[in-house]
Amino acid sequence: MKDYRKKKPDATKWIRFRIVVVATILTLCFGVIIGRAVQLQVLEQSELSERAAGEYKKAFHNMPRRGTIYDQNYAELAVSIDVSSICAYPKRISSPKQTTSLLARALNLKQGPILKKLSSDKGFVWIKRHAKPNQVSAVRKLKLDGVDFVTESRRFYPMKTLAAQVIGFCGTDGKGLEGLEYYYDPFLSGQESRWTVFKDALGRSFDVEAVALPEIKDGCNVILTIDKNIQHIAEQALSETVETFSAESGVAVVMVPETGAVLAIAHVPRFNPNTFGQYEPWVRRNRAITDSFEPGSTFKIFLAAAALESGLCTPDSRFECEEGRYKIGNNVVHDVHAYGALSLRDILKYSSNIGATKIGEKIGSAYFCDKIRAFGFGTRTGVDCPGESPGSVLPHEHWSDMDAMAICFGQGISMSALQLAVAVCATANDGVLMKPYLVQAMTDRQGRLVKSFRPTRLRRVISIETARILARMLERVVAKGGTGLKAAVRGYRVAGKTGTAQKVDPEARGYARNKHTAVFAGFVPARDPAVVILVVIDEPKKHHYGGVVAAPVFRQIAQESLQYLKIPPELATPQEETGGSVRASVEATWTG
Amino acid sequence: MTRRKAVRKPRSTLTPWLLLIVFFVAELLVFSWCRVQYVQTGYDIDQVKQERRQLIALHHELQVEEARLRSPERIRRLAQKRGLVMPDSSHVVVLP
Repeated sequence: MKDYRKKKPDATKWIRFRIVVVATILTLCFGVIIGRAVQLQVLEQSELSERAAGEYKKAFHNMPRRGTIYDQNYAELAVSIDVSSICAYPKRISSPKQTTSLLARALNLKQGPILKKLSSDKGFVWIKRHAKPNQVSAVRKLKLDGVDFVTESRRFYPMKTLAAQVIGFCGTDGKGLEGLEYYYDPFLSGQESRWTVFKDALGRSFDVEAVALPEIKDGCNVILTIDKNIQHIAEQALSETVETFSAESGVAVVMVPETGAVLAIAHVPRFNPNTFGQYEPWVRRNRAITDSFEPGSTFKIFLAAAALESGLCTPDSRFECEEGRYKIGNNVVHDVHAYGALSLRDILKYSSNIGATKIGEKIGSAYFCDKIRAFGFGTRTGVDCPGESPGSVLPHEHWSDMDAMAICFGQGISMSALQLAVAVCATANDGVLMKPYLVQAMTDRQGRLVKSFRPTRLRRVISIETARILARMLERVVAKGGTGLKAAVRGYRVAGKTGTAQKVDPEARGYARNKHTAVFAGFVPARDPAVVILVVIDEPKKHHYGGVVAAPVFRQIAQESLQYLKIPPELATPQEETGGSVRASVEATWTG
Repeated sequence: MTRRKAVRKPRSTLTPWLLLIVFFVAELLVFSWCRVQYVQTGYDIDQVKQERRQLIALHHELQVEEARLRSPERIRRLAQKRGLVMPDSSHVVVLP
């Protein structure tokens, strides 16, 4: 018993010791488990939940479809199409060198830049934005880990160069960079949306969530006033002439005088907005709106309008044209041909600079300057296009004698082609100045009208009588003996004015001898104008007169446009019209 | 005559349990079938949506192609190849 009693405490102790050890180990184990549970369920709960969600959820990011730009007959001028871009997740690529080699071969790219991207620490890199379908299928076949495809929207211009400077273009990210694409970017680009779907272990997504998808707000469609056929006619005619006369560039504007709607703005040289990066900025610019030039003798239209409107002159008022040489102070004004006394209508017909100077002297600088400004020169027209130039008209108080003289025949004043076209529209529209516009409506994706633009009347510039008398005078410019004979269109009465301006040489601080701008501005049919056409040819070689270089472009545009617009010839035979200025116009029409 | 005492057999408790188990198993199978159909329909919807997206994209591409083919420059080029010219006013017959 004694021995037992002695042994018992030792055994108990040992058992207790073992119990304590086991309990401690178990407690520690449970502690670790509980600690880990707290860590996972409490401390890292949100992060782990996100990571788990990432495993079975797939996020979709929908870029809205950019609105389509249509011409006035709903022909697509700019559309957005889905294209695939190739991207990569560098962290998921086990062998960047091998992947680079395969990608470079499939995409026909250099290995260096690709390897640099794939070796970077970034989570996501672009390999090739807007890849071609054959490139995408070639890369798909490779089945490379860490290489993915993203569907993006790309702007495409199916008519290529047609009205490119007006429409403008978009960058890779789908933002409008120039032209109407830039101006109407807030309307054309919609609102992006994001949503989530679940995916299984194989990565297949399934749409089981009964959650309504967010509404995709695509961009509005924009319907222009431009007519693709008239635009093409203008571009074709302009292009041929610029080539024939080896000119630097050319611009043509076609407008509806009654509304101010722009039917065409043609530029040469042309550019393809699908590959806009290959062209110089000046080629991509809408020069008809952004660039100003001296109008030359076309400005005599407004001098004549001011003279008639002032009441100081009539079409028959005569002015002595000094046989082609007229000295004012130290300055001498020349005419191309020597004339004696000419009436106002003949000054316009033969484009006498001396006659114009004398008309200017008669009506006075202040009145003339007011009328110039009333026609909209020196201020922006407010056309819905970016970068419009206001041109340059000095206040008459700052006109020197030389300025007052030169402005009468279109020197010392500058304007954009659109400004000049708009002012001619006022003459053709019975003296009412209209605001020019390029967009007539905006619709949503389903074609429902979102916004429409109506013609805007700005002000009356001259009376109806003055406008109509002026139109008859301008008909004579395109008649036999007039400077604009080559603008005559068979079967129609044409009113217009030629202009030839020397260009300013910035280095010589004067006018360059061999650099000219040839201009023709007019409207047809003269007595019920359907279109106003302005042609500006910059630095033509061989010939430089507006009547030789620009007038034939006017004729071609007018002839084809009138056929297209289904405006029947008003002059069936030359014998139908007799007497007066009309007869002269008819003769010219049939000889032109 | 001795009256025979009706001996009642003890009712088996197994049948209700079996019925319950069968019911639950059947319910489980139906639920599983529904669940599988549910997921499968989800896949089908997703696939149809994808097809729709592809068809819309194709439609857009065809519209672009049509617009390209209708471009006035191309038509003029084709017309010139065939010897066609732009009519002038003398070719126009105005009907009274």
